[in-house]
Amino acid sequence: MRRTRDISLTVIAAIFIILEIAALSMLRHSGTIQNMWISRCIHVIQANLWGSGESIRYYFSLKKKNDELAEENFRLSQEVRHYRLAAGETQAMDICTAADTAGRFRYIPATIVKLGNNSQHNYMIIGKGYEDGIEERSGIITAKGVIGVIDAVGKHYSYALSFRNAGISISARIGRTGPVGSLNWDGMTSHGAILSEIPHHIRLTQGDTVFTSGYSSMFPPDIPLGTTSGSRVVNGATYEISVSLFEDFSTLRYVTIVNNTGKKEIEKLEKE
Amino acid sequence: MKTAQHFGLIFLMMAAVQIIICNCFHLSAYVSLSVLPAMVLFIPLNIGTVLSMLIAFGTGLAVDALGEGLIGLNALALVPVALLRIPVTRLVFGEDVIERQEDISFRKFGAGKIATAILIMQALFLAVYIIADGAGTRPFWFNAARFAASLASGCILSMIAASVLLPDTKK
Repeated sequence: MRRTRDISLTVIAAIFIILEIAALSMLRHSGTIQNMWISRCIHVIQANLWGSGESIRYYFSLKKKNDELAEENFRLSQEVRHYRLAAGETQAMDICTAADTAGRFRYIPATIVKLGNNSQHNYMIIGKGYEDGIEERSGIITAKGVIGVIDAVGKHYSYALSFRNAGISISARIGRTGPVGSLNWDGMTSHGAILSEIPHHIRLTQGDTVFTSGYSSMFPPDIPLGTTSGSRVVNGATYEISVSLFEDFSTLRYVTIVNNTGKKEIEKLEKE
Repeated sequence: MKTAQHFGLIFLMMAAVQIIICNCFHLSAYVSLSVLPAMVLFIPLNIGTVLSMLIAFGTGLAVDALGEGLIGLNALALVPVALLRIPVTRLVFGEDVIERQEDISFRKFGAGKIATAILIMQALFLAVYIIADGAGTRPFWFNAARFAASLASGCILSMIAASVLLPDTKK
């Protein structure tokens, strides 16, 4: 019944449009002023349609533009790293960019093609694999923090454990020269983490920035991770500090894979 | 069937009257007399929207061709009237009239409701007619004055036409 009614309305609308177009066509040929007026209206409609089409095309080209911007951003970050190395700087400056302070890290831009955000064991699929130079146990970072660790590598894609995974722990430092502890996801909020194993005698200030320590072979030092927000003493010996992360994991798309070129040598030494 | 034939004859007669009005009665630049909206409005309700749009288009075209005017102008303005004939009838006279496909009459609905329906249709017709006739070359105040004068005179003329078109007034 409803379908019949819809068909009937469509037929009525189609016949109405046909009849109106026929009348306008006849009117256009019977009066000069009307001809000009109708032509002008047609041009306005064409211009609006063209404008709308362009807007839609522009909207769908935004993804490509974003990818291009991410590539350019990565290239510029790389240049900054090279200039710093050339200038002999060993510490990251105030700008929020991933720093290669020792010159032993290789950076590869990548995109996240799948991101799990709803469990205690979140994972990511990265859109690059061993053909692009990705290796297992490489770090994943952005300018605003550590994102995860590559766990398995395929030809074109890699499987990574997110920082928001109960099994991931990274070495972090309060300030650039402060005490070092272990940073884990708090398991509850999207931007909360716990920095543990901080000695009891350290004087803490809320709002201090937490950086990567550089003690891990996966991540370069001095990547800003978040700020301290509260603390509690555990077993009377160490502090457990709440950290509010800078990175918003729900909107992640562009990341940088960081690979320590001396990792194998370090691991070999550790085994010996 | 008899009623339909009867209406058809009166409809043709009214179309002829409209052609005469177009050719002979040029009262003023501000007044465009037309009974066409009333003629389309009172097409029997057993005739569907599609057919009434085709009737309106054909009538408008005939008046344009035989009267002194731009070909397509009346047809352009009359087709929307036919499109909105049933919704306006439903709005003014109620759902029952549509469901039972009753004839509209002065005796049953009164002059007030009939005048309201004519006013709506006449306004729609004149809005399209005046805009298309002016083709963006005339000032707004001229179009507004023409619309008001034509609406007033057209409604009076259409009420007379309705008294001829609608069935029970002749009994």
